[in-house]
Amino acid sequence: MFSVLSYGRLVTRAVIGGLSQTDSRDYSLVTARCGFEKDFRKGILKKGMCYGDDACFIARHRSADVLGVADGVGGWRDYGVDPSQFSGTLMKTCERLVKEGRFVPSNPVGVLTSSYYELLQNKVPLLGSSTACIVVLDRRSHRLHTANLGDSGFLVVRGGEVVHRSDEQQHYFNTPFQLSIAPPEAEGAVLSDSPDAADSSSFDVQLGDIILTATDGLFDNMPEHMILQELKKLKKTNYESIQQTARSIAEQAHVLAYDPNYMSPFAQFACDNGLNVRGGKPDDITVLLSIVAEYTD
Amino acid sequence: MLTLLSMFYYICLRRRSRSGTRGEALTSRRAVESGHRATLPISVEVEQYAKEVLDFSSHYGSENSMSYTMWNLAGMPNVYPSSGDFTQTAVFRAYGTWWEQCVSAPLPFRRTPKAFHSQDYIELAFEEPVYPTAVEVLETYHPGAIVQIMACSLNPFSQNPPTDVRWEVLWAEEPTRVLTPQARQFSPSITQLSFPTNLIRVEVNSSLLKYYTELDAVVLRGQKERPILSLYKMPRIDICDLSDSDEELSDPGVSFRQAGDGKHINLGNGYFDKLPYELIQLIVSHLTLPDLCRLTQTCKLLHQHCCDPLQYIQLSLQPYWARLSDTSLGHLQGRCTLLQRLNLSWTGNRGALTLTGFSSFMKACGGSLVCLELSCCHFLSEPCLEVISQTCPGLQELNLSSCDRLHPQAFTHISKLTRLRRLVLYRTKIEQTAMLSILTFCIELRHLNLGSCVMIEDYDVVASMLAVRCRSLRSLDLWRCRNLTERGLAELAAGCRLLEELDLGWCSTLQSSSGCFQHLARNLQCLRKLFLTANRTVCDSDIEELAANCPALQHLDILGTRMVSSSSLRKLLQACPKLLLLDVSFCAQVDARIVQELCGLFPNVAIKKSFTQ
Repeated sequence: MFSVLSYGRLVTRAVIGGLSQTDSRDYSLVTARCGFEKDFRKGILKKGMCYGDDACFIARHRSADVLGVADGVGGWRDYGVDPSQFSGTLMKTCERLVKEGRFVPSNPVGVLTSSYYELLQNKVPLLGSSTACIVVLDRRSHRLHTANLGDSGFLVVRGGEVVHRSDEQQHYFNTPFQLSIAPPEAEGAVLSDSPDAADSSSFDVQLGDIILTATDGLFDNMPEHMILQELKKLKKTNYESIQQTARSIAEQAHVLAYDPNYMSPFAQFACDNGLNVRGGKPDDITVLLSIVAEYTD
Repeated sequence: MLTLLSMFYYICLRRRSRSGTRGEALTSRRAVESGHRATLPISVEVEQYAKEVLDFSSHYGSENSMSYTMWNLAGMPNVYPSSGDFTQTAVFRAYGTWWEQCVSAPLPFRRTPKAFHSQDYIELAFEEPVYPTAVEVLETYHPGAIVQIMACSLNPFSQNPPTDVRWEVLWAEEPTRVLTPQARQFSPSITQLSFPTNLIRVEVNSSLLKYYTELDAVVLRGQKERPILSLYKMPRIDICDLSDSDEELSDPGVSFRQAGDGKHINLGNGYFDKLPYELIQLIVSHLTLPDLCRLTQTCKLLHQHCCDPLQYIQLSLQPYWARLSDTSLGHLQGRCTLLQRLNLSWTGNRGALTLTGFSSFMKACGGSLVCLELSCCHFLSEPCLEVISQTCPGLQELNLSSCDRLHPQAFTHISKLTRLRRLVLYRTKIEQTAMLSILTFCIELRHLNLGSCVMIEDYDVVASMLAVRCRSLRSLDLWRCRNLTERGLAELAAGCRLLEELDLGWCSTLQSSSGCFQHLARNLQCLRKLFLTANRTVCDSDIEELAANCPALQHLDILGTRMVSSSSLRKLLQACPKLLLLDVSFCAQVDARIVQELCGLFPNVAIKKSFTQ
């Protein structure tokens, strides 16, 4: 009788212990990137992480892995301003903030706010605007914190299904929320959203979750089911496979963008709003593909 | 047969082994003779970047920012080997002699030793204490500012309280002119230290530079183990050692002979007895402070001269910051009763000066004090300021620059110093209520520096108070005052008509479209210095108003505006013959060709155009 109780206690403890054992290992993101600029006739090889007017960054810190994409608003070109300067500098500043630890993993909006503030501290008068999407994985707590301003965004895929997706922020058709610095004479006329207007979310992630962060060049040309189809082909979690998948997604989107008969998500949305159009949407495409894995040094 | 072979073998072996040992003995003897460590392990050289910036005297950037701030000096370089004006570097607040030419500049102190050139400093902590073999500074823009590198025996990361904090000079030299603004790796030959260090202090002097110097990183190379056989110099008898030389003369000296009536007759001073008192005083007034203190120990006559309070009307202890302690102040106390100008900037940190020592000195010497420089004095606390307010009723100049650890409550005591004319609060944490209280009572203010005072919420209220109470204001530094608007500026311009210097650099809330700069120019006709750095709204009409109304203009900074063209600049240069400095960096309409043309037409003006490539 006594031994049954003691054995029972031992067994129960072991079972409960096994069930409730929290994973004490740190997580990390294995990330690959790929992209295409809209107008490859220009042929200017932008250094670093820029695809046309899009820019991105991937940064590691002791406490977190951080990714970001920014889509420079092309309309500035008509006023003699290079749109890629703003998005590129924004992303580089975010990267520097992360590397120097000047951020809180649970507050990705803070990364955007600090980065925007730093842009204003530059002696060089920067002009332009861009959307921004920041994704932070807190290594210890296994939580993903995101901030999204505009129409770039992210998907989280688990077991072949989308479990989280960001919402687009638009003022009106083809006018997303955007961070901007305007010349003084155009102060009132230029759309300028505060970094605080960004949507933020936080949720737990598991090992093997796939996170796709991209600019609207991807989402406007490839519907969710096609993206999921490509992601199903990702079998292994090493960098090379992720790089290959990211490349295939970006290439597919790039091809579809120039297909005049294809009913892209962008064309579908336009039709829903009364504009009778067909075809893809030529745009800069930036794709960051990450898998949640265990942290190795 | 076998025995023969074995014997033969044995003999050969023995011979070989014997020659072997003899050979070894030879090599080891040779080794000892030549001084090489043949058998001892070679010391590993460790190379480190700075881990953390601990302290500094000033910087160009904003307090919460990583652009142009001193914190960029830690860690790996971001810019080097590129040259240019980049945000990721460490930049000091000033350069050249422009700030020294201003009305708000303090008078230099007498008895400043010729070897002391430092204007700014930065202290860096590294991970591991090493015996330094080299210190490399990566300068990426307008190099040549570094004048001194020092090392400390204290480990800033250790938990134990500091026992003996010693600072040794690794390298020091006069400022030299470097002609090119291009990046360079500065690695002077340093002296050897007798203790390991991971705390390095770099002191700079930018007076010969054409523009702001920018530093990217500092590398410390050293060995973990003490170099054993290397020759190291005997510790230099540092002439800055005040504590030893402050001992009072106890022995009355052998120069006395007792006369018949029992009085002492001073016989042994030779011709010194024939010289008038004032002449010896004049001679002695040329000595630096350590020499003065040493001279007191020579004989009673010179002791009397050197301890005469008339020698201590001005006292600058800043060059001796590394050696100053409570004891030193205690020794000097008796001589400083007529003290009028006191410079304690940079002193007292890491426990060298305490409230007790400071208060006792101020109580003894504060009565006639007119000027008190306490820049970067982190030992200051609220009671210290209370003591100052009580013991220095006649104080006219107070400098608390970069005393950022001073509690906001401490500043309320400054309002008791009603005779204040010059107040520097750059980078302090003063709050709105204390500021308004000071402005209410210190109505004689002539020079006020509120640069980077981030805790003041509403600068419009401060400006409006200044306009009402401090009408004799001559210079005002509002560098990086974020929320000053055209309302505050308009009131300031209307109330403080005698303003000669106004620094509104990086005040982003001022819009030229409101007409505030034109209003400013029309009201402040005595204006000599105007900084509108990084105000992107400055336009041609503002420049034309300045040209029309401010003929005394000497320094103008309009960095970063796209709206000023060369024609209005030409008008300004023609209308302001006294103009000496014009900064048009990052002004989109003013390119290098225009700058060159203007330099040719107006050779007396230093036209600055910074670059990032």
